[in-house]
Amino acid sequence: MDAFNYFAMSWLSPELLGLTALGTFLGIYVGAIPGLSVTMAVSILISFTFSWDVNYALCLMVGVYMGGVYGGSRTAILLNIPGAPSAIATALDGYPLAKKGLAGEAIGLSTVMSVVGGFVGIIVLAIAAPTVSEFAITFQPRDYMMLGILGIMLVGSLSGSSLARGIFAGALGLLIGTVGLDPMTAEERFTFGVVELWDGINPVAVMIGMFGISEALHQLHHMNKAVVKQKISRIIPKWSDIKKYMPLSLQTSFIGVIVGALPGTGGDIAALMAYDHAKRVTKNPKVPFGEGAKEGLIAPESANNAAVGGAYIPMLTLGIPGDAVTAVFIGALFIHGLNPGPLLLVEQPHMFWFTVGNLTLANIFVLIFGLTGIKLFSKIVECPKGILIPLIFLLSIVGAYAINNAITDIWWMLAFGVFGYFMRLYGFPVGPVILGVILSSLTDENWRRAILTERGSVSDLFINMLHSPLSTVLFSVIVLILFTKSPIWTKWLKRKVFRPSA
Amino acid sequence: MSSQSPSLTTRKPGERIFCFLLVLGSVYLFWQAYKISGFSSLSSPGAFPLAASAAMVLASCITFLNTLKAPAAEDVRFVYHCFPPVVAFIMALILIYSVVLESLGFVLTSFVFLFISIQFLYRRSPLTTLAITLLSLIVVYIIFRLVFQVVLPEGIMPEREILSSITSLWR
Repeated sequence: MDAFNYFAMSWLSPELLGLTALGTFLGIYVGAIPGLSVTMAVSILISFTFSWDVNYALCLMVGVYMGGVYGGSRTAILLNIPGAPSAIATALDGYPLAKKGLAGEAIGLSTVMSVVGGFVGIIVLAIAAPTVSEFAITFQPRDYMMLGILGIMLVGSLSGSSLARGIFAGALGLLIGTVGLDPMTAEERFTFGVVELWDGINPVAVMIGMFGISEALHQLHHMNKAVVKQKISRIIPKWSDIKKYMPLSLQTSFIGVIVGALPGTGGDIAALMAYDHAKRVTKNPKVPFGEGAKEGLIAPESANNAAVGGAYIPMLTLGIPGDAVTAVFIGALFIHGLNPGPLLLVEQPHMFWFTVGNLTLANIFVLIFGLTGIKLFSKIVECPKGILIPLIFLLSIVGAYAINNAITDIWWMLAFGVFGYFMRLYGFPVGPVILGVILSSLTDENWRRAILTERGSVSDLFINMLHSPLSTVLFSVIVLILFTKSPIWTKWLKRKVFRPSA
Repeated sequence: MSSQSPSLTTRKPGERIFCFLLVLGSVYLFWQAYKISGFSSLSSPGAFPLAASAAMVLASCITFLNTLKAPAAEDVRFVYHCFPPVVAFIMALILIYSVVLESLGFVLTSFVFLFISIQFLYRRSPLTTLAITLLSLIVVYIIFRLVFQVVLPEGIMPEREILSSITSLWR
């Protein structure tokens, strides 16, 4: 009964309800406008909301996350520009549909199926998380350490162009996270005798720099791209269509949840895998894939929204983020004094059910905003970049300053922004950096705990590791990634998905 | 670990230098990590930074060696495709913004910043730019300063007096 009360908390309070609605609304537009990303929006929002009550801040950010994942599909359909990485697969069939004059129908259908996917994700989260967290209590420090490394390596190998670049980015993040006084012995690390560095580098400044500034700087390359307008007809999808595609939507939703729940894989991979799945199971599509098959639109859209619920499972139960957005989210939870991990569900069950309720609410708002306001939408998305980008810079700077009212944070943000710009330019992924910063202390502390319990003996650590099935699995996965060069796998996946459609 | 996606079989101008700088930076950080507690024990405060920076050295060396093998991309010029003047200009603008922010205050600095950058990027008549700048600044100010209650540097503008005189008008 308590759980239900917490679940309904954001539904009954007008302020929380309003904030979730606002967040979802903002998220849809942030996700839809190419050049603005959910990661960027959430990292800027952290800095503005950190003084708020945690419930208010969470409502807003959950809304942005949920809306943002959906919003990317809009521009993918209308402009063939995926507003977010998770909408890349959506563009493959969504844009051909729009070219046939079916943009409205495509948007309507993708909205409904996104919401279906979202609900599947939330239900799985509500059922699985308590079990996972009970299981997680039995985890040893070495398991946490390996989970941390695993998450960074997966993000590094999947998001970047080469594993080496991904590992570099992840290790850099880990190192940034160690700057300051060591939490266990209070020894100085990388402080260069500067007292200001004792507290470390503010992770929010790193996030805003890497995702706000560097992304906006990159947008300056594409200032003069012409926008193609599409005519939008009816938007409420046909009931027969929904009924017909529901089984596929549910299947791909489950793919989405599972992929989302794995550390290191998020909505983008989920959407690509779902697209691949749809292609395999649809024997006789009415329209070939890549030319406007509705199956090819529904599958990735259900999967990427389902991945949101999935991504919350490791985030809330283990404190391990699945991708850059969840890494930023964990940063937000830490700032609000919450400790995501196996004890969160035991010590603060209200937080868990509150989040589940919030996600559900945000999902409903996606449905409402998704099927309305399309005229306003096309106006806002056409907002010229020449105005938009200066505003992003302004918000980034103000955001970085607002965390501690310190100019130093602006310097850090700027430094990481410029560095991130060059990293992106030369094919280094920036997601692992953020994951590294967030996971740094967890990995560091658990490594030291693990080695201390073995009295400093590495051989004992390995022997005990092999006695525990979980540790063995984790260890072998890490070794597997390192030595089978997971880029081959991504190449395979990309080839499989893109080649026939190209 | 030499397998790379097709887009990276060529290298962009400056990529080699950037990767080389990363190697240098990683080695420097490795040395700094060594200075924390040396190779004293596996659970020392320096052990984890050492491992992380060692991974950086290794990964950056591999990347650098790969760029040595890769042929240069054709028709890509550094000043045009990689680091166009507009990016440098905006970077400089943000730098100046953060230098003068505390002394001049949020409102003035942001006004100038928005005006220059919108004029530069949007290229309309100064009057249009002025209108857009004013409007967006007012919206940002209301949302963040008044609704979100974010503390922003006041600088030379007597903001609080202005605000209180405005609120007193309502009473």
